[in-house]
Amino acid sequence: MTQVESPSRVRPLDELDIGSIVKIDERITGIYRPEVWEERAGYYLRRDPDASQVVEIGGKVVGFMLGDIRIGEFGLEEPSGWIERFGIDPDFRGRDLGKRMFEAMSAHFRAQGVTTLRTLVDRQDAGVAGFLGALGFESSRLQALEMRLPTATS
Amino acid sequence: MKVEQLTLEKKYHDAVEHWRRHYLKDYDLLLENWDKYFPKDEPFCLCAKMECGTPDTVAVGEHAGEKKRLTPDQLTEDEAKHLLAIIRAQASTEFGSIQQHAGTLARAQDDEDRFWVLRVMAEELRHGYQMFHLLLSQDWSKAAGGVKGEEMVEEILSMQTGSHVLDAFNLEYDSFVDNVCFAALVDRVGKYQLTMQKVCAFRPMADSMPPMLREEAFHLAAGVIPLRRWAKRAAQGDVFISMRAIQKSIHKWYPRALEMFGDERGGDSNLRMGFKDMKNREAQDLYIEEVTRMVRDINARFLRARFPDYTIDKVERVLDELERGRGRHQGVEYDDLLRVPDRRFFRRKGEPAWTMIGADGEPFADVDAYVRYLATQLPEAYLASRDMKTYAETVRQVAAGTLPVAEAVRRMPRLKRVGGNCPCSRSVRWVVEDPAPTNGH
Repeated sequence: MTQVESPSRVRPLDELDIGSIVKIDERITGIYRPEVWEERAGYYLRRDPDASQVVEIGGKVVGFMLGDIRIGEFGLEEPSGWIERFGIDPDFRGRDLGKRMFEAMSAHFRAQGVTTLRTLVDRQDAGVAGFLGALGFESSRLQALEMRLPTATS
Repeated sequence: MKVEQLTLEKKYHDAVEHWRRHYLKDYDLLLENWDKYFPKDEPFCLCAKMECGTPDTVAVGEHAGEKKRLTPDQLTEDEAKHLLAIIRAQASTEFGSIQQHAGTLARAQDDEDRFWVLRVMAEELRHGYQMFHLLLSQDWSKAAGGVKGEEMVEEILSMQTGSHVLDAFNLEYDSFVDNVCFAALVDRVGKYQLTMQKVCAFRPMADSMPPMLREEAFHLAAGVIPLRRWAKRAAQGDVFISMRAIQKSIHKWYPRALEMFGDERGGDSNLRMGFKDMKNREAQDLYIEEVTRMVRDINARFLRARFPDYTIDKVERVLDELERGRGRHQGVEYDDLLRVPDRRFFRRKGEPAWTMIGADGEPFADVDAYVRYLATQLPEAYLASRDMKTYAETVRQVAAGTLPVAEAVRRMPRLKRVGGNCPCSRSVRWVVEDPAPTNGH
């Protein structure tokens, strides 16, 4: 029997997607953390609800990509489109759904006058780094730096 | 996309600011704390925002394909009157919801919830300001029967809870649960109205919608996110919030929210004139579907908090079982969960107006039994309201056959200002106005 694949639909995030995002995140990380996603969804919905995207298949949300436009951070005066969090339900990978959400997000950023997209990635996470590389992200002149602080003692 | 920001003529801007000092007393507190609760967000601006670059041709109705209208005199008299009624109703809802929120705002248990609602109130003020821009930047006198824009603005600013255009804005809040349920249920209707009006054949109205909609997205979050958090607390045994209290508030607001779509059988004029792209029932059906998703999501949050060892798939299976069998699972009963009331429940306008239907769709033959039943389903403080007293009197008359349904639909009393227009004036009283012509059917 031929399996007919349901068409996918990319649309902006809304407040009813939180449960689905929590579920996808739990599938990926094994951690149930609704408070984190309630806080993040609240943040993105109040800043720019048209920027962040979800993808549905058969009416079910199977992926999300969250981000917003920021100006003036780290001395970057040009408006930058930041892609912060994304995830695809493992059962629905390999269908270019991430790329489709990225395209919708980029189109929104472009319409807002953004000329540069930015994100941060753990180089050791080959899957995510590979995905971002395939979308066209390249190493930047900016470099992420970090420093461990000694544990506070009483 | 670009947005043009406009300010009203000083005397009107000042009138809105004056109104704000009465009904949005914590406005300055909001601005002082903006960066604390909404870091990096654009500062609040009391202005009209017009989206640039929206489509310039009419998308639906009998003028589809024609250039959008830019001034009221490009509309027929009938169209202009119809659109003016929409703008006036929209403006009334914006100012009305601020007055409602103000009553119980300070009772929020969490400061974050309070500041979220405060932001919602400030943005509703901006939406009202937006509608004033539409009223004042154009000459509507022909459609308004000679009434000038400034008189319309004065009339809207003089309205208070009890005298607004739509019933949902004439009910006082009983607790902060109402602030949150209102945002989740009534603001959701607002989202539908604004979305439908994005196509409006009158371009200044269409241009007003996208910026309002972007702000509305947060208003819905300001309802749903606290509800999710409360469901978790209720599941964990917090005695200060219960699913029953939330359910009762849903029973109070959901019927009024459904009525905001207009009569289920109507909406043809909006579509024909190109002002909205859906009929009333079609939009209401989608709304019900969305509320059903919201309620299921909150129930899943409740169950997961009650059974932290369950996987989300197991939670969904348990939820399905409880919904299907209406039984119990490990001490949780179906009645412990939230549910969407039947669309005919506690209605006083539209197709099922004044029928006696329970929240689960069960019909009542005896009016006293129905009123007693409602008393078990609605928030206790609301039962002691004037609205409930009038409702009970009216439903008894309808059931006895002494008042026709059509008349009952138009009969709910209004709080009418009979003196000056400033909110400082206390010259108001309850009146039953002459029946107005029906709208949208």
